[in-house]
Amino acid sequence: MSKIGVFICHCGENISATVDVERVAREVGGMEGVAHAIDYKYMCSDPGQTFIKEAVKKYNLDGVVVGACSPRMHEPTFRRACAEAGLNPYLCEMANLREHCSWVHEKSEETTEKAIDLVKMLVQKVKKNKPLDSIKVPVTKRALVIGGGIAGIQASLDIANTGHKVILVERDPSIGGHMSQLSETFPTLDCSQCILTPRMVEVAQHPNIKLYTYAELESLEGFIGNFTAKIRLKAKSVDYSTCTGCGACIQKCPVKKIPSEFNAGLGTRTAIYVPFPQAVPNKPVIDRVNCNYYKRGACKICEKTCQVGSIQWDREDEIVTEEVGAVVLATGFDVKGADFFPEYGYGKYKDVLTGLQFERMASASGPTFGEIRRPSDGVIPKKIVFIACAGSRDPAKGIPYCSKICCMYTAKHAMLYQHKVHDGESTVFYMDIRAGGKNYEEFVRRAIEEDTVNYVRGRVARVYEKDGKLIVKGVDTLLGGQQVEIEADMVVLATAGVANCGSEQLAQKLHVSYDPYHFFAEAHPKLKPVETNTAGIFLAGACQAPKDIPETVGMASGAAVKVAALFSNDELVREPLVAVVNRLAPPLYSTCVGCFMCETACPYNAIEHEDIRGRDGSLIKTIAKVNEGLCQGCGTCVAFCRSKSIDIQGYTHEQVYAEVMSLLND
Amino acid sequence: MEKIRERAATLLAEGVVTLVLGYEEGTKRPRPLFCRNSESARKLIFDSRCIHNLAVYLTKKELVGKDRFAVIAPIATLRSIMQLYVENQLSEDKLLVLTVDPSGELRELVTFEDIAGYVEQFELKRGEREQEILSKIDEMSREERWKFWMEEMSHCFKCYACRSACPLCYCSKCVVEVNRPQWINPWPAPLANMEWHINRAMHMVGRCTACGACGDACPVGIPIDLITRKMMEDMAPEFGYIPGQPAKKGNALSTWKLDDREQFIR
Repeated sequence: MSKIGVFICHCGENISATVDVERVAREVGGMEGVAHAIDYKYMCSDPGQTFIKEAVKKYNLDGVVVGACSPRMHEPTFRRACAEAGLNPYLCEMANLREHCSWVHEKSEETTEKAIDLVKMLVQKVKKNKPLDSIKVPVTKRALVIGGGIAGIQASLDIANTGHKVILVERDPSIGGHMSQLSETFPTLDCSQCILTPRMVEVAQHPNIKLYTYAELESLEGFIGNFTAKIRLKAKSVDYSTCTGCGACIQKCPVKKIPSEFNAGLGTRTAIYVPFPQAVPNKPVIDRVNCNYYKRGACKICEKTCQVGSIQWDREDEIVTEEVGAVVLATGFDVKGADFFPEYGYGKYKDVLTGLQFERMASASGPTFGEIRRPSDGVIPKKIVFIACAGSRDPAKGIPYCSKICCMYTAKHAMLYQHKVHDGESTVFYMDIRAGGKNYEEFVRRAIEEDTVNYVRGRVARVYEKDGKLIVKGVDTLLGGQQVEIEADMVVLATAGVANCGSEQLAQKLHVSYDPYHFFAEAHPKLKPVETNTAGIFLAGACQAPKDIPETVGMASGAAVKVAALFSNDELVREPLVAVVNRLAPPLYSTCVGCFMCETACPYNAIEHEDIRGRDGSLIKTIAKVNEGLCQGCGTCVAFCRSKSIDIQGYTHEQVYAEVMSLLND
Repeated sequence: MEKIRERAATLLAEGVVTLVLGYEEGTKRPRPLFCRNSESARKLIFDSRCIHNLAVYLTKKELVGKDRFAVIAPIATLRSIMQLYVENQLSEDKLLVLTVDPSGELRELVTFEDIAGYVEQFELKRGEREQEILSKIDEMSREERWKFWMEEMSHCFKCYACRSACPLCYCSKCVVEVNRPQWINPWPAPLANMEWHINRAMHMVGRCTACGACGDACPVGIPIDLITRKMMEDMAPEFGYIPGQPAKKGNALSTWKLDDREQFIR
């Protein structure tokens, strides 16, 4: 007969205030197979754990049930205590008497009875528990970082500096991301590129970092510590091993009117191009969509210009395979663009810009060399209106969240404008000013008080053009809803930050979850902000939610530490709570019939095919096999298996059945 | 009919296949025939009375052996074959399909792509019997339906003929035989019967091809084929399927597509 020990915790008063813990211990103590049952004020404390350890030895227990808080809190504590006393840790179970009982019910007879039921269920379950051994998986100590913005750069450098190899994949021809597009940064107004470019160069020169630009992840297979990444290197049409980056081809390229992505559409670029002067690598690619040769079959001027013969017309996309142990997702964000704001005239009036376009205009490397000029006629605007929350915090637009960075960059934009146009007049329409951050509030106050930016609390209803002016109609809610009308020369929209294009497809490729706005989901909103639900894949920066540079850098370093921690061991120890396909004696071998419906249901690609062969090598049958490195123990396959051939270790059919029946048979 | 006999005899004589599964005249209606030589192929018949779903034998290794075999398949059987294929139970190199198209031509289908292409041309319609009972059930309230089925199921004595006749019930150990733990009570009784039939229906979601073999096989005449059929009809539009069209990889309940309508969840 079983010898189960039951330990009921008061959790101070958290449980004992509403549950009669002594009665729980008494009643459960009378159950068949329960050898020992006590209650104690703090089971998780050192004396509490000692009670458990001593009881395991004294009564020779073969199972332990602790009725206390959530297993998420203290299951490791109690399992370790059992292990120290010589009991297999997986023979210890927890009944959640706090979150599932005392916290959610009033003090009553029924509350105590529910607590008794909860403990009894676990007693019946633990009788069916089997000792389990933790799973060990080898670790490939090389990281894949996807996205070469400041998040990806920081994560790569931090991982590389711990001595591990990093593969950094960037979709564009250069790393740098959005930060390279910014003019100055809040709250210090230091030049964005001046602080970023040294990091970019460091990435390029770091012996531990392998950089793939103009590349995208094709697929990711495998599991924590053991991923296989296929990376598509898009054809650059330029041989980087010989190209010197002299730029002659760029000057001679006849296709000059392509809207520049780097300048957010304000400037133009050529078909063979380097996105910006400080690009890393500073070597051009040919944009095949716009190149005359690829469009019409003739031109090749760049080839004639090139002194070293680096142009390769028939170069094709290449797929490289890399083995990695961890992945950091740092794919960043995008800003809402054209046609999202018909009421503000974006896309219709040339002088209505997005914040990112203004950023380029204010930048010394931008299309106007840092001068604020109207795109329509090149005139310096004397009156400028900034509209905060353009799209953000607007459930009607489908973006109920706050984009977080706009309040600050709008203050910065207004400030930069005032610094550049001394007789200019700037107005900011805002909903609230959210300036939470070190020196942020002071920065906004400076814009209002020192740089005399006119802040109007209220929303803008419409922007329309009249006699060459942009008429901004809004309301001032601090003056009792008074109508405000401003004749502006330029309007800047602080457009909402949204998930980067393709983030949903990428999430599906990697099997990480994402929120309704396609930002990647963290594993826990507070305690696991850089982890995803898929082990071994971490998050950094604005791909998780809009965030500013300091936060992004902090998160990237956080993700890097997680990767370094993973790489600090040669083997990875995992909980054995994974699915297993049963194996039986011949002639059945397994009740699995190999329909592989589980394979289509598994969200983690953990189901493999296993051939069962006879002694002569002939195939007897093919059955499913669970890769225990990949399996997360979610149980979807178990629910899907018609013949009940799959079980989750620690939550087997027998265990769950025993729990349910203990309730029904009472 | 003559062409089928000739072709079957040739296939056997030339050793292309070692077995032809078809129909012969029975006492009341056609019955399955396992031809292992060209001699016996002379007994083969094929007409509209041949409705026994021979796909049920295709997963039984002890019957079909290890070598290549042929099966004479009306459209319902072909649908089952496609479903068995997506469930990894059949392989192309072991199977040859013979059928007769509506114009009376003998067709030989070698690949699953061929079969899918052929099946696509046929629409799945309700027969008179199905239409009659299903429209009657459609008009019932929820309580009346429960009563109707409880009454029908009370006749069941768990002979499992439905399971034996179904080509998709090929598990080597059925869930009713799992006894650690015993999820489904094995004895015939109203509640225990319901447990079995609900389980059977759930195991058929997204898989049943409405061949009707289970209903035909029931010795007490419970129209159980209509449960899985109706489930298929109800489910198909929600997941962008058309009933009767050849099965595709994956299962409605296990796969997810960006354009799934999912309106029933909201």
